[in-house]
Amino acid sequence: MAACRALKAVLVDLSGTLHIEDAAVPGAQEALKRFVTNTTKESKQDLLERLRKLEFDISEDEIFTSLTAARSLLERKQVRPMLLVDDRALPDFKGIQTSDPNAVVMGLAPEHFHYQILNQAFRLLLDGAPLIAIHKARYYKRKDGLALGPGPFVTALEYATDTKATVVGKPEKTFFLEALRGTGCEPEEAVMIGDDCRDDVGGAQDVGMLGILVKTGKYRASDEEKINPPPYLTCESFPHAVDHILQHLL
Amino acid sequence: MAPWGKRLAGVRGVLLDISGVLYDSGAGGGTAIAGSVEAVARLKRSRLKVRFCTNESQKSRAELVGQLQRLGFDISEQEVTAPAPAACQILKERGLRPYLLIHDGVRSEFDQIDTSNPNCVVIADAGESFSYQNMNNAFQVLMELEKPVLISLGKGRYYKETSGLMLDVGPYMKALEYACGIKAEVVGKPSPEFFKSALQAIGVEAHQAVMIGDDIVGDVGGAQRCGMRALQVRTGKFRAAQHVLQGTCSGPGAHTCSSPKTLPEARSPGAGRGITQEGQSPPVVLAAPCSGNWALLWTAPCESSSRDSTADRRRPRACSCGAVVSLGCLDSAPALTFTAGTTWASPQVRSGAQAVLGHLFPVPSSRTPFQTTVHSPGPSF
Repeated sequence: MAACRALKAVLVDLSGTLHIEDAAVPGAQEALKRFVTNTTKESKQDLLERLRKLEFDISEDEIFTSLTAARSLLERKQVRPMLLVDDRALPDFKGIQTSDPNAVVMGLAPEHFHYQILNQAFRLLLDGAPLIAIHKARYYKRKDGLALGPGPFVTALEYATDTKATVVGKPEKTFFLEALRGTGCEPEEAVMIGDDCRDDVGGAQDVGMLGILVKTGKYRASDEEKINPPPYLTCESFPHAVDHILQHLL
Repeated sequence: MAPWGKRLAGVRGVLLDISGVLYDSGAGGGTAIAGSVEAVARLKRSRLKVRFCTNESQKSRAELVGQLQRLGFDISEQEVTAPAPAACQILKERGLRPYLLIHDGVRSEFDQIDTSNPNCVVIADAGESFSYQNMNNAFQVLMELEKPVLISLGKGRYYKETSGLMLDVGPYMKALEYACGIKAEVVGKPSPEFFKSALQAIGVEAHQAVMIGDDIVGDVGGAQRCGMRALQVRTGKFRAAQHVLQGTCSGPGAHTCSSPKTLPEARSPGAGRGITQEGQSPPVVLAAPCSGNWALLWTAPCESSSRDSTADRRRPRACSCGAVVSLGCLDSAPALTFTAGTTWASPQVRSGAQAVLGHLFPVPSSRTPFQTTVHSPGPSF
């Protein structure tokens, strides 16, 4: 299929592919082009710290998170956001004007989703402000059980205002396109490596990239059968993926 | 167009929405809407039966009626159809024990209900009590149940308080629906059972009743779908359009109603002309299409046809009948957008009801989207 593609960029998922919590996937500290993740809690600085401790040779502008995707979108639309994001994510929006907001950004920030704040956001949206959602996860796993993700609250505001949010996290196309924007590559010239078949690989392939599924992290047997078309390649781990790329795609 | 007298022929009873029609809630007991106290008094002096049909679920009936009485309204608890008592009936009938996601103000309505070991969730307009924690508690209850049941007191999107527009129970109901992958059961407007119980309470049939409300979906749409006639008022949550189009119209004329007090005195426009303008804001229009059903036409912000945010929200689409159509929906009703200078005969709407367009006046606002909706009742709605 893609042997004749000129591969220019590699996007690599972070959690589950390069590292799992605070341990590196064995052999993963090898050459990489770019890192891609859906984390909305940690700022790039925090991520960088964590990865550097694991001896990954990465620079800040090589990390692209869904927060980065949101920021890019805000800059392109030239809007001033009301940021409903975790405090730890705020550094990623440094430099963006937030006074007199005319846009709403919703991330995974449970402590923010109280009535007053949502009502404020709601009134902005009714006035025509765009709604940007980092992602629409229904819930996530906490120590005390399941907890509501940002998705339900995004849905609440969509219903209240009869509008649709622009979702910027994986597996949305926006995410991958924004991630590639900085590389100057077309999706056809890029490959995505990740452990989440639907969000990483499926999302990337939907946009025209090649997807490589690695069997680490959240991978479960037969995940590769869950998307159509199936992943370009399913392999053991990130280093194997890199091997393949170096041997066959360059 | 037939004069009002004809259009209201056979009306024996009136259902009145409360919030946004009679008063706006808010600090200090809220504010009566100008002329409403007098209008209610006049209705009661007439031979019409009156019933208050509200989705109020943040306070008990006793508290609500108390507030309204203090504002001068002639109203008593027995005359009010409200969702909490209706919900309690359902809970008892089905042996349901709810986790109550409600405002403390309405808790007394649930005094007779067993809330131990919950096997369902009841969600109402909890206002400030819609904290993340409370929402999460309700979510966790639902996720633990083999057959999750979510009962919602109404599904309104928002309502008006004196301080501005406030999120209602609907968005939070949708949040839980989305999180759990379930559908809520709605008690209250626009559910037909709710309207029926209100009609039963005054011994009036649907075709003999008129509903007056500020919520096009909950009040007007719901009532019309039950076979009632309905009037949209431009107070409360009604949002005046900020963008209007010049156009001509043919077909029957139409009329606007700006508040309940003008109902008995409504003027009928000249034959063949269009919408009577009252003030700056674009009209809410009632038109009677051919089958005797009502078609309601009004303008509200939003140009977007599709729910696709990436689509150019200003781009209308052409419909087969020649009218320019934008498909933004209100409860699946098709919407029509009128471009400047368009002339048309009656555009086809869903069940064939005829819509009337008139002269609308532009108020430029680049930030506010715009939508014109034709809302027609009837079984196919």
